[in-house]
Amino acid sequence: MKQLKILAVDDDPFTLKMLDKKLAKEGYDIETASDGVEAGKLISKKFYDIIITDLVMPGGVDGIDVLEAAKTKNKQTEVILLTAHASVENAVEAMRKGAFDYLQKPVNFYELTLCMEKIKNYKKLLKNAQDLREAMDVTEQNAAQTIQLLEMNVAELNNVVSEIRQVIMNQSIDPNKCVARVLDIVSS
Amino acid sequence: MIKDKRDDIKEISKYILDISGINLDESKAYLIETRLGGLIKEYECSSYKELRSKAETDSNKTIENKIIDAISTNETLFFRDREPFEVLQHKILPDLIDRRTEKASGLLPIPIRIWSAACSTGQEAYSIAIVLKELLPDLKKYNVRLFGTDISDSAIAQASYGTYNKFEIERGLSKGKLEKYFIPNGGNWKISDEIRAMVSFNKGNILKPFAGVEKLDIIFCRNVAIYFDLEERKKLFENIASVLEPDGFLIVGSTESLTGICPIFEPKRYLRTIYYQLK
Repeated sequence: MKQLKILAVDDDPFTLKMLDKKLAKEGYDIETASDGVEAGKLISKKFYDIIITDLVMPGGVDGIDVLEAAKTKNKQTEVILLTAHASVENAVEAMRKGAFDYLQKPVNFYELTLCMEKIKNYKKLLKNAQDLREAMDVTEQNAAQTIQLLEMNVAELNNVVSEIRQVIMNQSIDPNKCVARVLDIVSS
Repeated sequence: MIKDKRDDIKEISKYILDISGINLDESKAYLIETRLGGLIKEYECSSYKELRSKAETDSNKTIENKIIDAISTNETLFFRDREPFEVLQHKILPDLIDRRTEKASGLLPIPIRIWSAACSTGQEAYSIAIVLKELLPDLKKYNVRLFGTDISDSAIAQASYGTYNKFEIERGLSKGKLEKYFIPNGGNWKISDEIRAMVSFNKGNILKPFAGVEKLDIIFCRNVAIYFDLEERKKLFENIASVLEPDGFLIVGSTESLTGICPIFEPKRYLRTIYYQLK
Protein backbone atom coordinates (compact mmCIF):
# COMPACT_ATOMS: atom_id res chain seq x y z
CA MET A 1 0.00 0.00 0.00
CA LYS A 2 1.23 3.51 -0.77
CA GLN A 3 2.79 5.63 1.97
CA LEU A 4 0.06 7.34 3.97
CA LYS A 5 0.03 11.15 4.03
CA ILE A 6 -0.40 12.51 7.54
CA LEU A 7 -1.16 16.00 8.86
CA ALA A 8 -0.50 16.64 12.56
CA VAL A 9 -2.13 19.72 14.12
CA ASP A 10 -1.31 21.04 17.59
CA ASP A 11 -0.60 24.45 19.12
CA ASP A 12 1.78 22.82 21.58
CA PRO A 13 5.16 22.89 19.78
CA PHE A 14 6.57 20.08 21.93
CA THR A 15 3.76 17.60 21.05
CA LEU A 16 3.91 18.65 17.41
CA LYS A 17 7.66 18.09 17.20
CA MET A 18 7.35 14.69 18.86
CA LEU A 19 4.59 13.63 16.46
CA ASP A 20 6.63 14.82 13.50
CA LYS A 21 9.78 13.01 14.59
CA LYS A 22 8.22 9.72 15.68
CA LEU A 23 5.83 9.31 12.76
CA ALA A 24 8.50 10.23 10.20
CA LYS A 25 10.68 7.56 11.82
CA GLU A 26 7.81 5.06 11.42
CA GLY A 27 7.90 5.81 7.68
CA TYR A 28 4.86 8.08 7.37
CA ASP A 29 4.87 11.11 5.06
CA ILE A 30 4.08 13.76 7.69
CA GLU A 31 3.35 17.50 7.61
CA THR A 32 2.51 19.74 10.56
CA ALA A 33 0.33 22.76 11.31
CA SER A 34 0.57 24.81 14.50
CA ASP A 35 -3.13 25.68 14.70
CA GLY A 36 -6.54 25.04 13.13
CA VAL A 37 -6.30 28.02 10.76
CA GLU A 38 -3.08 26.77 9.20
CA ALA A 39 -4.51 23.22 9.06
CA GLY A 40 -7.60 24.52 7.24
CA LYS A 41 -5.42 26.14 4.56
CA LEU A 42 -3.41 22.93 4.04
CA ILE A 43 -6.57 20.75 3.92
CA SER A 44 -8.10 22.96 1.25
CA LYS A 45 -5.00 22.53 -0.93
CA LYS A 46 -4.20 18.83 -0.66
CA PHE A 47 -5.41 15.41 0.39
CA TYR A 48 -4.32 13.72 3.62
CA ASP A 49 -5.05 10.07 4.47
CA ILE A 50 -4.97 10.76 8.20
CA ILE A 51 -5.19 13.96 10.25
CA ILE A 52 -4.11 13.88 13.89
CA THR A 53 -5.42 17.02 15.58
CA ASP A 54 -5.57 18.50 19.04
CA LEU A 55 -9.15 19.12 20.12
CA VAL A 56 -8.73 22.47 21.88
CA MET A 57 -6.71 25.11 20.03
CA PRO A 58 -6.58 28.91 20.03
CA GLY A 59 -7.44 31.10 17.03
CA GLY A 60 -11.14 30.23 16.62
CA VAL A 61 -10.63 26.96 14.70
CA ASP A 62 -10.63 23.91 17.00
CA GLY A 63 -10.21 20.18 16.39
CA ILE A 64 -13.91 19.66 15.59
CA ASP A 65 -13.68 22.40 12.93
CA VAL A 66 -10.59 20.68 11.47
CA LEU A 67 -12.52 17.38 11.45
CA GLU A 68 -15.48 18.96 9.67
CA ALA A 69 -13.26 20.72 7.10
CA ALA A 70 -11.40 17.47 6.40
CA LYS A 71 -14.60 15.43 6.00
CA THR A 72 -16.20 18.06 3.78
CA LYS A 73 -13.13 18.12 1.54
CA ASN A 74 -12.79 14.36 1.28
CA LYS A 75 -14.69 11.65 3.16
CA GLN A 76 -11.73 9.27 2.73
CA THR A 77 -9.64 11.29 5.20
CA GLU A 78 -9.65 9.74 8.68
CA VAL A 79 -9.24 11.95 11.74
CA ILE A 80 -7.75 11.11 15.16
CA LEU A 81 -8.46 13.64 17.92
CA LEU A 82 -6.02 14.33 20.74
CA THR A 83 -7.76 15.40 23.90
CA ALA A 84 -7.03 16.38 27.49
CA HIS A 85 -8.79 14.30 30.13
CA ALA A 86 -11.30 17.08 30.85
CA SER A 87 -12.60 17.23 27.30
CA VAL A 88 -13.44 13.56 26.73
CA GLU A 89 -17.11 14.44 26.26
CA ASN A 90 -16.19 16.67 23.32
CA ALA A 91 -14.15 13.84 21.88
CA VAL A 92 -17.20 11.57 22.03
CA GLU A 93 -19.11 14.28 20.17
CA ALA A 94 -16.30 14.27 17.56
CA MET A 95 -16.70 10.51 17.14
CA ARG A 96 -20.37 11.11 16.34
CA LYS A 97 -19.26 13.59 13.70
CA GLY A 98 -17.14 10.97 11.99
CA ALA A 99 -13.75 10.96 13.77
CA PHE A 100 -12.03 7.57 13.55
CA ASP A 101 -10.83 7.59 17.17
CA TYR A 102 -9.55 9.82 19.98
CA LEU A 103 -6.50 9.53 22.21
CA GLN A 104 -5.90 11.20 25.54
CA LYS A 105 -2.95 13.50 26.05
CA PRO A 106 -0.11 13.15 26.81
CA VAL A 107 0.17 11.07 23.65
CA ASN A 108 1.18 7.47 24.16
CA PHE A 109 3.00 6.69 20.92
CA TYR A 110 2.42 2.97 21.19
CA GLU A 111 -1.34 3.67 21.33
CA LEU A 112 -1.06 6.11 18.43
CA THR A 113 0.78 3.66 16.16
CA LEU A 114 -1.80 0.97 17.02
CA CYS A 115 -4.53 3.37 15.98
CA MET A 116 -2.68 4.18 12.73
CA GLU A 117 -2.30 0.44 12.00
CA LYS A 118 -6.05 0.07 12.52
CA ILE A 119 -6.69 2.84 9.99
CA LYS A 120 -4.29 1.22 7.52
CA ASN A 121 -6.07 -2.14 7.80
CA TYR A 122 -9.44 -0.45 7.55
CA LYS A 123 -8.39 1.37 4.37
CA LYS A 124 -7.00 -1.87 2.93
CA LEU A 125 -10.29 -3.70 3.60
CA LEU A 126 -12.21 -0.83 2.09
CA LYS A 127 -10.07 -0.97 -1.04
CA ASN A 128 -10.59 -4.75 -1.28
CA ALA A 129 -14.35 -4.28 -0.95
CA GLN A 130 -14.34 -1.58 -3.64
CA ASP A 131 -12.25 -3.75 -6.00
CA LEU A 132 -14.56 -6.71 -5.48
CA ARG A 133 -17.62 -4.53 -6.04
CA GLU A 134 -16.19 -3.14 -9.26
CA ALA A 135 -15.34 -6.65 -10.49
CA MET A 136 -18.87 -7.76 -9.58
CA ASP A 137 -20.42 -4.78 -11.37
CA VAL A 138 -18.51 -5.52 -14.58
CA THR A 139 -19.41 -9.22 -14.47
CA GLU A 140 -23.03 -8.38 -13.70
CA GLN A 141 -23.28 -5.89 -16.57
CA ASN A 142 -21.88 -8.40 -19.05
CA ALA A 143 -24.17 -11.15 -17.78
CA ALA A 144 -27.16 -8.78 -17.86
CA GLN A 145 -26.56 -7.92 -21.54
CA THR A 146 -26.36 -11.58 -22.54
CA ILE A 147 -29.32 -12.68 -20.43
CA GLN A 148 -31.57 -9.85 -21.60
CA LEU A 149 -30.71 -10.53 -25.24
CA LEU A 150 -31.50 -14.22 -24.78
CA GLU A 151 -34.70 -13.37 -22.92
CA MET A 152 -35.94 -11.24 -25.84
CA ASN A 153 -34.86 -13.86 -28.43
CA VAL A 154 -36.64 -16.66 -26.58
CA ALA A 155 -39.81 -14.56 -26.32
CA GLU A 156 -39.67 -13.80 -30.04
CA LEU A 157 -39.13 -17.48 -30.93
CA ASN A 158 -42.00 -18.49 -28.65
CA ASN A 159 -44.27 -16.09 -30.54
CA VAL A 160 -43.16 -17.57 -33.87
CA VAL A 161 -43.79 -21.09 -32.59
CA SER A 162 -47.28 -20.24 -31.38
CA GLU A 163 -48.12 -18.52 -34.70
CA ILE A 164 -46.94 -21.62 -36.60
CA ARG A 165 -48.92 -23.84 -34.26
CA GLN A 166 -52.08 -21.82 -34.96
CA VAL A 167 -51.57 -22.15 -38.73
CA ILE A 168 -50.95 -25.90 -38.53
CA MET A 169 -53.89 -26.50 -36.19
CA ASN A 170 -56.21 -24.62 -38.54
CA GLN A 171 -57.55 -27.52 -40.55
CA SER A 172 -59.51 -25.34 -42.94
CA ILE A 173 -56.29 -24.19 -44.62
CA ASP A 174 -55.13 -26.09 -47.68
CA PRO A 175 -51.90 -28.05 -46.77
CA ASN A 176 -49.88 -26.34 -49.51
CA LYS A 177 -50.99 -22.90 -48.42
CA CYS A 178 -50.27 -23.95 -44.85
CA VAL A 179 -46.64 -24.74 -45.70
CA ALA A 180 -46.32 -21.48 -47.63
CA ARG A 181 -47.68 -19.49 -44.66
CA VAL A 182 -45.37 -21.25 -42.21
CA LEU A 183 -42.41 -20.41 -44.45
CA ASP A 184 -43.60 -16.81 -44.53
CA ILE A 185 -43.74 -16.65 -40.75
CA VAL A 186 -40.29 -18.20 -40.38
CA SER A 187 -38.66 -15.91 -42.95
CA SER A 188 -40.20 -12.73 -41.51
CA MET B 1 -17.22 -33.60 5.12
CA ILE B 2 -17.93 -36.18 7.83
CA LYS B 3 -21.43 -37.64 7.82
CA ASP B 4 -22.59 -36.30 11.21
CA LYS B 5 -21.57 -32.79 10.26
CA ARG B 6 -23.25 -33.14 6.85
CA ASP B 7 -26.49 -34.24 8.52
CA ASP B 8 -26.20 -31.34 10.94
CA ILE B 9 -25.82 -28.85 8.06
CA LYS B 10 -28.77 -30.47 6.25
CA GLU B 11 -30.89 -30.07 9.36
CA ILE B 12 -30.28 -26.31 9.61
CA SER B 13 -30.54 -25.84 5.80
CA LYS B 14 -34.02 -27.34 5.87
CA TYR B 15 -34.99 -25.05 8.73
CA ILE B 16 -33.61 -21.99 6.88
CA LEU B 17 -35.57 -23.03 3.77
CA ASP B 18 -38.76 -23.31 5.86
CA ILE B 19 -38.44 -19.92 7.56
CA SER B 20 -37.02 -17.87 4.69
CA GLY B 21 -37.27 -19.76 1.39
CA ILE B 22 -33.50 -19.38 1.00
CA ASN B 23 -32.12 -22.59 -0.44
CA LEU B 24 -28.68 -23.48 0.90
CA ASP B 25 -27.63 -26.91 -0.32
CA GLU B 26 -24.52 -28.77 0.75
CA SER B 27 -22.32 -26.72 -1.55
CA LYS B 28 -23.15 -23.65 0.54
CA ALA B 29 -22.02 -25.25 3.82
CA TYR B 30 -19.25 -22.63 4.08
CA LEU B 31 -21.88 -19.88 4.04
CA ILE B 32 -23.80 -21.49 6.89
CA GLU B 33 -20.63 -21.92 8.91
CA THR B 34 -19.35 -18.37 8.44
CA ARG B 35 -22.72 -16.73 8.95
CA LEU B 36 -24.13 -18.84 11.80
CA GLY B 37 -20.89 -19.49 13.66
CA GLY B 38 -21.49 -16.45 15.87
CA LEU B 39 -24.98 -17.61 16.87
CA ILE B 40 -23.70 -21.10 17.74
CA LYS B 41 -21.33 -19.45 20.22
CA GLU B 42 -23.84 -16.88 21.46
CA TYR B 43 -26.43 -19.56 22.32
CA GLU B 44 -23.77 -22.05 23.47
CA CYS B 45 -24.91 -24.79 21.09
CA SER B 46 -22.84 -27.87 20.29
CA SER B 47 -24.51 -28.36 16.89
CA TYR B 48 -26.76 -26.66 14.32
CA LYS B 49 -29.45 -29.15 15.32
CA GLU B 50 -29.36 -27.71 18.83
CA LEU B 51 -29.54 -24.16 17.43
CA ARG B 52 -32.56 -25.18 15.39
CA SER B 53 -34.38 -26.69 18.35
CA LYS B 54 -33.60 -23.63 20.49
CA ALA B 55 -34.96 -21.39 17.71
CA GLU B 56 -38.11 -23.50 17.37
CA THR B 57 -38.89 -23.38 21.10
CA ASP B 58 -38.11 -19.65 21.43
CA SER B 59 -41.62 -18.21 21.64
CA ASN B 60 -40.68 -14.60 20.87
CA LYS B 61 -38.73 -15.72 17.78
CA THR B 62 -35.56 -13.82 18.67
CA ILE B 63 -33.30 -16.66 17.51
CA GLU B 64 -35.30 -17.21 14.29
CA ASN B 65 -34.98 -13.51 13.47
CA LYS B 66 -31.25 -13.56 14.18
CA ILE B 67 -30.83 -16.57 11.88
CA ILE B 68 -32.72 -14.76 9.10
CA ASP B 69 -30.60 -11.63 9.60
CA ALA B 70 -27.38 -13.65 9.52
CA ILE B 71 -28.26 -15.68 6.46
CA SER B 72 -29.91 -13.06 4.24
CA THR B 73 -27.80 -10.94 1.93
CA ASN B 74 -28.60 -7.26 2.24
CA GLU B 75 -26.54 -6.16 -0.73
CA THR B 76 -28.34 -3.11 -2.11
CA LEU B 77 -27.64 0.45 -3.09
CA PHE B 78 -29.40 3.59 -4.19
CA PHE B 79 -30.40 3.49 -7.87
CA ARG B 80 -28.84 0.03 -8.27
CA ASP B 81 -28.14 -0.65 -11.99
CA ARG B 82 -29.56 2.83 -12.86
CA GLU B 83 -31.51 1.55 -15.92
CA PRO B 84 -34.57 0.20 -14.05
CA PHE B 85 -35.08 3.67 -12.59
CA GLU B 86 -34.72 5.29 -16.02
CA VAL B 87 -37.36 2.89 -17.37
CA LEU B 88 -39.56 3.76 -14.40
CA GLN B 89 -39.15 7.49 -15.00
CA HIS B 90 -39.33 7.63 -18.80
CA LYS B 91 -41.56 4.72 -19.74
CA ILE B 92 -43.50 2.98 -16.97
CA LEU B 93 -44.80 5.95 -14.96
CA PRO B 94 -45.72 8.09 -18.00
CA ASP B 95 -47.57 5.12 -19.62
CA LEU B 96 -49.33 4.24 -16.40
CA ILE B 97 -50.36 7.82 -15.67
CA ASP B 98 -51.70 8.26 -19.21
CA ARG B 99 -53.87 5.16 -18.88
CA ARG B 100 -55.03 5.93 -15.34
CA THR B 101 -55.84 9.52 -16.29
CA GLU B 102 -58.12 8.32 -19.10
CA LYS B 103 -59.98 6.11 -16.63
CA ALA B 104 -60.10 8.65 -13.77
CA SER B 105 -63.25 10.56 -12.97
CA GLY B 106 -61.29 13.74 -12.37
CA LEU B 107 -62.56 14.02 -8.81
CA LEU B 108 -60.29 11.59 -7.01
CA PRO B 109 -56.50 11.58 -7.09
CA ILE B 110 -55.06 9.00 -9.52
CA PRO B 111 -53.87 5.89 -7.67
CA ILE B 112 -50.32 4.62 -8.22
CA ARG B 113 -49.42 1.58 -6.12
CA ILE B 114 -45.81 0.40 -6.09
CA TRP B 115 -44.20 -2.45 -4.17
CA SER B 116 -40.49 -2.90 -3.48
CA ALA B 117 -40.49 -6.62 -2.66
CA ALA B 118 -37.62 -7.75 -0.41
CA CYS B 119 -36.59 -4.14 -0.01
CA SER B 120 -33.70 -4.91 2.36
CA THR B 121 -32.55 -1.67 4.05
CA GLY B 122 -34.79 0.56 1.93
CA GLN B 123 -32.49 2.01 -0.74
CA GLU B 124 -34.62 0.73 -3.64
CA ALA B 125 -37.89 2.03 -2.17
CA TYR B 126 -36.36 5.47 -1.48
CA SER B 127 -34.86 5.55 -5.00
CA ILE B 128 -38.38 4.94 -6.38
CA ALA B 129 -39.75 7.71 -4.14
CA ILE B 130 -37.08 10.12 -5.44
CA VAL B 131 -37.99 9.25 -9.06
CA LEU B 132 -41.67 9.92 -8.26
CA LYS B 133 -40.84 13.22 -6.61
CA GLU B 134 -38.70 14.36 -9.56
CA LEU B 135 -41.12 13.23 -12.23
CA LEU B 136 -44.31 14.44 -10.56
CA PRO B 137 -43.86 17.83 -8.92
CA ASP B 138 -47.64 17.94 -8.41
CA LEU B 139 -47.64 14.75 -6.29
CA LYS B 140 -50.91 15.75 -4.58
CA LYS B 141 -52.79 14.97 -7.78
CA TYR B 142 -51.89 11.32 -7.25
CA ASN B 143 -52.67 8.83 -4.55
CA VAL B 144 -49.20 7.29 -4.38
CA ARG B 145 -48.80 4.23 -2.18
CA LEU B 146 -45.29 2.90 -2.03
CA PHE B 147 -44.62 -0.22 0.07
CA GLY B 148 -41.39 -1.93 1.04
CA THR B 149 -41.34 -5.38 2.64
CA ASP B 150 -38.53 -7.62 3.81
CA ILE B 151 -38.19 -10.77 5.86
CA SER B 152 -35.45 -9.33 8.07
CA ASP B 153 -36.50 -7.34 11.15
CA SER B 154 -33.24 -5.44 11.33
CA ALA B 155 -33.33 -4.54 7.61
CA ILE B 156 -36.87 -3.19 8.02
CA ALA B 157 -35.79 -1.28 11.13
CA GLN B 158 -32.96 0.43 9.24
CA ALA B 159 -35.20 1.12 6.25
CA SER B 160 -37.81 2.72 8.51
CA TYR B 161 -35.19 4.79 10.27
CA GLY B 162 -33.85 5.92 6.89
CA THR B 163 -30.29 6.57 8.08
CA TYR B 164 -27.29 5.47 6.04
CA ASN B 165 -23.55 5.56 6.65
CA LYS B 166 -21.02 7.11 4.29
CA PHE B 167 -20.40 3.84 2.42
CA GLU B 168 -24.08 3.23 1.78
CA ILE B 169 -24.48 6.81 0.60
CA GLU B 170 -21.39 6.85 -1.61
CA ARG B 171 -22.84 4.08 -3.77
CA GLY B 172 -25.27 5.13 -6.47
CA LEU B 173 -26.26 8.61 -5.26
CA SER B 174 -25.20 11.76 -7.09
CA LYS B 175 -24.01 14.72 -5.00
CA GLY B 176 -27.07 16.68 -6.16
CA LYS B 177 -29.53 14.02 -4.99
CA LEU B 178 -27.62 13.54 -1.73
CA GLU B 179 -27.86 17.22 -0.86
CA LYS B 180 -31.46 17.52 -2.00
CA TYR B 181 -32.95 14.46 -0.33
CA PHE B 182 -30.72 13.73 2.69
CA ILE B 183 -29.84 15.55 5.87
CA PRO B 184 -26.42 15.12 7.55
CA ASN B 185 -26.90 13.32 10.85
CA GLY B 186 -23.69 12.92 12.85
CA GLY B 187 -21.34 11.02 10.55
CA ASN B 188 -24.39 9.58 8.74
CA TRP B 189 -27.12 10.81 6.40
CA LYS B 190 -30.87 10.68 7.04
CA ILE B 191 -33.48 10.61 4.29
CA SER B 192 -35.60 13.79 4.22
CA ASP B 193 -39.00 13.66 5.95
CA GLU B 194 -40.75 14.34 2.65
CA ILE B 195 -39.27 11.23 0.95
CA ARG B 196 -39.54 9.15 4.13
CA ALA B 197 -43.27 9.89 4.36
CA MET B 198 -43.84 8.48 0.87
CA VAL B 199 -42.83 4.92 1.81
CA SER B 200 -44.29 2.46 4.32
CA PHE B 201 -42.17 -0.48 5.43
CA ASN B 202 -43.42 -3.79 6.82
CA LYS B 203 -42.00 -7.16 7.64
CA GLY B 204 -43.14 -9.83 5.18
CA ASN B 205 -42.08 -13.12 3.61
CA ILE B 206 -42.62 -12.96 -0.15
CA LEU B 207 -42.96 -16.74 -0.35
CA LYS B 208 -46.07 -16.75 1.84
CA PRO B 209 -49.40 -16.31 0.00
CA PHE B 210 -50.29 -12.64 -0.49
CA ALA B 211 -53.74 -12.91 1.12
CA GLY B 212 -55.60 -9.62 1.36
CA VAL B 213 -53.02 -7.70 -0.66
CA GLU B 214 -54.54 -5.07 -2.92
CA LYS B 215 -53.68 -5.04 -6.62
CA LEU B 216 -50.47 -3.26 -7.52
CA ASP B 217 -49.41 -1.24 -10.56
CA ILE B 218 -45.64 -1.66 -10.37
CA ILE B 219 -43.60 -4.34 -8.59
CA PHE B 220 -39.84 -4.31 -8.13
CA CYS B 221 -38.61 -7.80 -7.23
CA ARG B 222 -34.91 -7.68 -7.96
CA ASN B 223 -32.12 -10.05 -6.99
CA VAL B 224 -34.25 -11.95 -4.51
CA ALA B 225 -35.42 -15.00 -6.44
CA ILE B 226 -31.76 -15.84 -7.18
CA TYR B 227 -31.52 -17.22 -3.63
CA PHE B 228 -34.52 -19.56 -4.13
CA ASP B 229 -34.74 -22.91 -5.90
CA LEU B 230 -36.72 -23.29 -9.14
CA GLU B 231 -39.97 -24.37 -7.48
CA GLU B 232 -39.88 -21.46 -5.04
CA ARG B 233 -39.15 -19.04 -7.90
CA LYS B 234 -42.16 -20.30 -9.84
CA LYS B 235 -44.34 -19.92 -6.75
CA LEU B 236 -43.01 -16.41 -6.13
CA PHE B 237 -43.66 -15.09 -9.65
CA GLU B 238 -47.09 -16.74 -9.79
CA ASN B 239 -47.92 -14.98 -6.51
CA ILE B 240 -46.64 -11.71 -7.98
CA ALA B 241 -48.76 -12.20 -11.11
CA SER B 242 -51.82 -12.68 -8.92
CA VAL B 243 -51.44 -9.25 -7.30
CA LEU B 244 -50.33 -7.28 -10.37
CA GLU B 245 -52.89 -5.23 -12.29
CA PRO B 246 -53.48 -6.67 -15.80
CA ASP B 247 -51.64 -3.66 -17.27
CA GLY B 248 -49.10 -3.46 -14.42
CA PHE B 249 -45.32 -3.67 -14.64
CA LEU B 250 -42.75 -6.01 -13.09
CA ILE B 251 -39.04 -5.29 -12.84
CA VAL B 252 -36.61 -8.06 -11.91
CA GLY B 253 -32.83 -8.02 -11.39
CA SER B 254 -30.64 -7.22 -14.39
CA THR B 255 -29.24 -10.76 -14.57
CA GLU B 256 -32.53 -12.56 -13.86
CA SER B 257 -34.73 -14.29 -16.40
CA LEU B 258 -38.33 -15.46 -16.23
CA THR B 259 -37.93 -17.85 -19.17
CA GLY B 260 -39.05 -21.29 -18.04
CA ILE B 261 -40.17 -19.86 -14.71
CA CYS B 262 -43.32 -17.91 -15.33
CA PRO B 263 -44.64 -17.98 -18.93
CA ILE B 264 -47.52 -15.63 -18.18
CA PHE B 265 -45.08 -12.72 -18.16
CA GLU B 266 -43.86 -11.22 -21.41
CA PRO B 267 -40.50 -9.40 -21.56
CA LYS B 268 -40.47 -5.94 -23.17
CA ARG B 269 -37.41 -3.96 -24.03
CA TYR B 270 -36.92 -0.26 -23.36
CA LEU B 271 -33.56 1.48 -23.86
CA ARG B 272 -30.99 -0.95 -22.53
CA THR B 273 -33.15 -2.91 -20.15
CA ILE B 274 -36.16 -5.19 -19.86
CA TYR B 275 -39.41 -4.99 -17.92
CA TYR B 276 -42.26 -7.50 -17.81
CA GLN B 277 -46.00 -7.32 -18.30
CA LEU B 278 -48.70 -9.97 -18.13
CA LYS B 279 -49.49 -11.51 -21.52
